[in-house]
Amino acid sequence: MVNADGQLYTIEGVAAALILLLTAYIVVNSTSVYTMGDTHISDMQLEVVGDDALKMMNTAPNSSVEKTSLRTIIETGDAVQFQEMFDSIVNAKTGTGRDRIQFMANVTYERSDGTVGDVPLGASSHIFTGREHAVRVTEWVIVDSPCPLCSDVTSGKHAVLVEALVWRD
Amino acid sequence: MARLNDDAQWIVLMGFIVSFALFFIAILINQSTIVGQTTAEAVSEFPKTDIREVRGMIIQSEFLGDENDKTNVQREIRNLSLSRHNAVVEFSSSPPAGSDPYTHIEMHYNNGVTAYNETWRSE
Repeated sequence: MVNADGQLYTIEGVAAALILLLTAYIVVNSTSVYTMGDTHISDMQLEVVGDDALKMMNTAPNSSVEKTSLRTIIETGDAVQFQEMFDSIVNAKTGTGRDRIQFMANVTYERSDGTVGDVPLGASSHIFTGREHAVRVTEWVIVDSPCPLCSDVTSGKHAVLVEALVWRD
Repeated sequence: MARLNDDAQWIVLMGFIVSFALFFIAILINQSTIVGQTTAEAVSEFPKTDIREVRGMIIQSEFLGDENDKTNVQREIRNLSLSRHNAVVEFSSSPPAGSDPYTHIEMHYNNGVTAYNETWRSE
């Protein structure tokens, strides 16, 4: 028999079911976007550290020095010097320990035939395998050519781009 | 016929309040995970240093003494920006002329997401 008893209980039941469903939906949905919001923040900080390091290397220590360290390194092709300098800047840390930042740097330049080429400039002790979660930092430098790294360019001044992949392991 | 029992309405009301509170807390948790991500993403996607550097290079290239060097460097800025930064960089300059003692450089940077335009004037 159909009667009109207990309608409030029915409405309450439907409302409760809706609230439960909505809550469950929101909870499930929130786990799906839980892609470690923190990694983006540390990426951002790593990018700043790497960029600052390259910028420091591309700044002449005083006004009587004409060429910056980075420019001299590229013009002489001194990978060891780059490695030591970049490594000590990015891994400097308050206290006695050092940071765990690893890197791999390339110099990108335009060949005389107009194509873009790149040569390795230096890397840290841990080889880049491609699985690391790395960020990229870049720095423009104007160098005098020909230099040992970029031999297939015409002589004169050239703009080259130093690119470094930086990651923490 | 059974009458609708209206006892214990406070308990029912409290039940409602608690369930709505839970509902809103769930929304807060849902949103809070996105906040850090979107903020950091927005910061890392905005090409602040790219723009700053290419701007410095354009100005620097404008004052290279040798005309041949200048052409080379400026072509390389365009070419390398396009191939390595995925950005279209275009610029042109007008040297001091007549009563205007300043060099003006018009720069455009566009990487598809961020566009930056500037007219630079030597001081």
